[in-house]
Amino acid sequence: MSVPILTLPIKYEQDVVGARQRARQVADLLGFDQQDQTRIATAVSEIARNAFIYAKSGEVEFQLEGQLAPQVLLIHISDRGPGIATLAHILAEQYQSPTGMGLGIIGARRLMDQCDIQSTPGQGTSVWLKKVLPKRAPLVTAARLQQIVGELTSRAMQEPLAEIRQQNQELLQALAEVRERREELAQLNQELEDTNRGVVALYAELDEKADHLRRADEMKSRFLSNMSHEFRTPLSSILALSQLLMDRSDGDLTGEQEKQVRYIRKSAEGLLEMVNDLLDLAKIEAGKIEVRPIEFSPATLFSALRGMLRPLLISEAVNLVFEDPKDIPPLYSDEGKVSQILRNFISNALKFTERGEVRVKATLSPTGDAVIFAVSDTGVGITPEDQERIFEEFTQIEHPLQGRVKGTGLGLPLCRRLATLLGGRVDVASQLDVGSVFTATIPLEHRDPTEEFTATMAEWMLDPQRQPVLLVEDEPEIILLYEKYLRGSNFQLLSARNLREVRTLMAQVRPSAIVLDIMLRGEESWRLLTELKANETTRQIPILVATTVEDQRKGLALGADAYCIKPLTREAILAHLSQFTGLQAEPPATTTQLLVIDDEEATRYLITKLLSDAPGVVHEAENGEEGLRQAYALQPSVIFLDLNMPRMSGYEVLKKLKADPHTQAIPVVIVTSQLLDEAEQRLLAAQAHAIINKNNLSREVLKEVLILE
Amino acid sequence: MERIPILKLGDFLLVTIQVDMHDQLVMTLQDDLTERIVKTQALGVLMDISSLEIVDSFIGRMIGNIAAMARVLDAETVVVGMQPAVAITLVELGLSLPGVRTALNVDSGMKLLRTMLDQKEMANASSAR
Repeated sequence: MSVPILTLPIKYEQDVVGARQRARQVADLLGFDQQDQTRIATAVSEIARNAFIYAKSGEVEFQLEGQLAPQVLLIHISDRGPGIATLAHILAEQYQSPTGMGLGIIGARRLMDQCDIQSTPGQGTSVWLKKVLPKRAPLVTAARLQQIVGELTSRAMQEPLAEIRQQNQELLQALAEVRERREELAQLNQELEDTNRGVVALYAELDEKADHLRRADEMKSRFLSNMSHEFRTPLSSILALSQLLMDRSDGDLTGEQEKQVRYIRKSAEGLLEMVNDLLDLAKIEAGKIEVRPIEFSPATLFSALRGMLRPLLISEAVNLVFEDPKDIPPLYSDEGKVSQILRNFISNALKFTERGEVRVKATLSPTGDAVIFAVSDTGVGITPEDQERIFEEFTQIEHPLQGRVKGTGLGLPLCRRLATLLGGRVDVASQLDVGSVFTATIPLEHRDPTEEFTATMAEWMLDPQRQPVLLVEDEPEIILLYEKYLRGSNFQLLSARNLREVRTLMAQVRPSAIVLDIMLRGEESWRLLTELKANETTRQIPILVATTVEDQRKGLALGADAYCIKPLTREAILAHLSQFTGLQAEPPATTTQLLVIDDEEATRYLITKLLSDAPGVVHEAENGEEGLRQAYALQPSVIFLDLNMPRMSGYEVLKKLKADPHTQAIPVVIVTSQLLDEAEQRLLAAQAHAIINKNNLSREVLKEVLILE
Repeated sequence: MERIPILKLGDFLLVTIQVDMHDQLVMTLQDDLTERIVKTQALGVLMDISSLEIVDSFIGRMIGNIAAMARVLDAETVVVGMQPAVAITLVELGLSLPGVRTALNVDSGMKLLRTMLDQKEMANASSAR
């Protein structure tokens, strides 16, 4: 039977030292002499070191065996390590240790009286060291043992230095760990900073890329716009020339020839349509398209569309339904553009619907400030991946139906652009094989920040040479028409689109005459007529009522000086104005010589042909210098001038013509295929008599220009 | 870090071990001492282990290593002040510390070192002649 004296854990290297010191103390207290104390301590040191090295931890237990002499000191050192595989070898003193000198266990055996080892591989090792207490030593009784245990405990307490050293050791270890952590952190920080720098550099690169892309996009738009113009010129020649052929102006055509010419014309028309689509797109991108807002109701828009789109209905199986818009206030927006969007939607829907119906309806948006136009079909539908792609230029979705229907892939992108231009947007919701719903949300009131009332005021630069005539008219086409009529006459047209503008204008200018339309957008001008005639200061101003309302009696009763159904002819309006003001409208024109300056032979030929029945002789010049020379020599009554010419451009020719006193009085008509922006238009309008688009070249247009002359 | 002090004493280095060294400390001492020998070009090392009550197989082996390394670095090592109990235990353990010169105390250790150096010098001189 054994009695425990002391138990020590072995966890750190320092514990090996502690174990041998404790062994020495225990041996001392039990009465061993100094030599034995050293032996016991050394043996414990060997075995404890083994436990620490091979098992990383273990336990040392000191026990006393026997109550009568001979008593035995039993030291049990155990660990839970991998065990000793070669125990037999070691005990046979054949083992060479890689760490110690192969003396640990053998040495311990030599130093102690008995050494038992029990080792199970994988479970641990237990070593029992035994030493018989010296014969001369007094018997260790239970009381003495108690005393020894107490002394050992107090000795442990009495070693504050060792304790402090131990703690110091641990502290140092902790500090080292902290330092390591800090270094790791610093490194991490450095890495983060590097990454951050990389990210910043990446951002800069992205910005640069975005800039490049933006520039490339701009270039593309400009290219598209320019190219489309280039395309239009030869196309308009083809169209006009084929029309000439069809008109039989150069002899009769056989039936077959006529068919061929008609096909030529049809193809050219198709091509022109695509080019125009492209141009529209390019113009929007370049911000050149203007919004001309007017007031209109969805109901009238729908009825117009119904008539327009009926021809597209080719299949009996498809029904086109327009739902009557209810409770929707009239919109103030660009009707043409809204109609264009809906036309695109509807023709698309009809293309991709084989049976069922295409339904068009208009509803007020939940917020009440926009109208949502929806075109739903029962067609093939669009997969979610394709729903965004269809709004990209030149995208056409792969579908068997696609093969049968033609298109440029520009319709939907154009719709999106147009809607954006009007302050709205387009959306699509679709399910494959069930159908699609395209919606366009258009704000009720179009607000264009650039279109300020004061801006139009600036245009009223009064010409002291001419009599101001106020035109009260809301239809821009009519305003344009009348302006054309009065250009070059003794009358200057000032236009007002609503009563508010009339009042502002009247406050500044006293017109010589007023041309008044009765049905203005959302208001009637009967009251204005009464007001003007009732007012002392304005009573004298003659008023010509030009309207669609046939109520001459009422007009004259209210004080109108004349009453016409619009639109008036040029002669009629000039006659009325001359009568009102007692002024000659303009001296009659005499046309003898005409000059065409254009580098393209086709255009020259065309104009000459179109002018063939006009009075006078047509001369041609194929470049600017030649044109100037002829203009000087012939003194023609009208010059038709192209803008795009090599060497000397039309602008230059115009400048030279106007600079020379011999030619400056000759009216110049610009004939061009370019779409002019406002600045160019203003520049040309100041010097040129009229501007004709090559696409519109026809006998009628030229005649009109000549008559104006 | 805990360290065993190494003192320079003329041409010799004096190492006095006054604590019961754990294994890592012995290794550190070995590194420190070889470094100092090279730095100071010491000719001899006196290792005083009079305070050591236990020298087990590991410490014994390290003392032997230190002496061997010092010799390679052209310095002789003398271990002085070994307690009788330690000496007996070492022998019983089977450790004979080959190549380690011992002396009873620092004084005689110093003398031994000097004699050894003189002999070496004389041997060098005679071989040079």
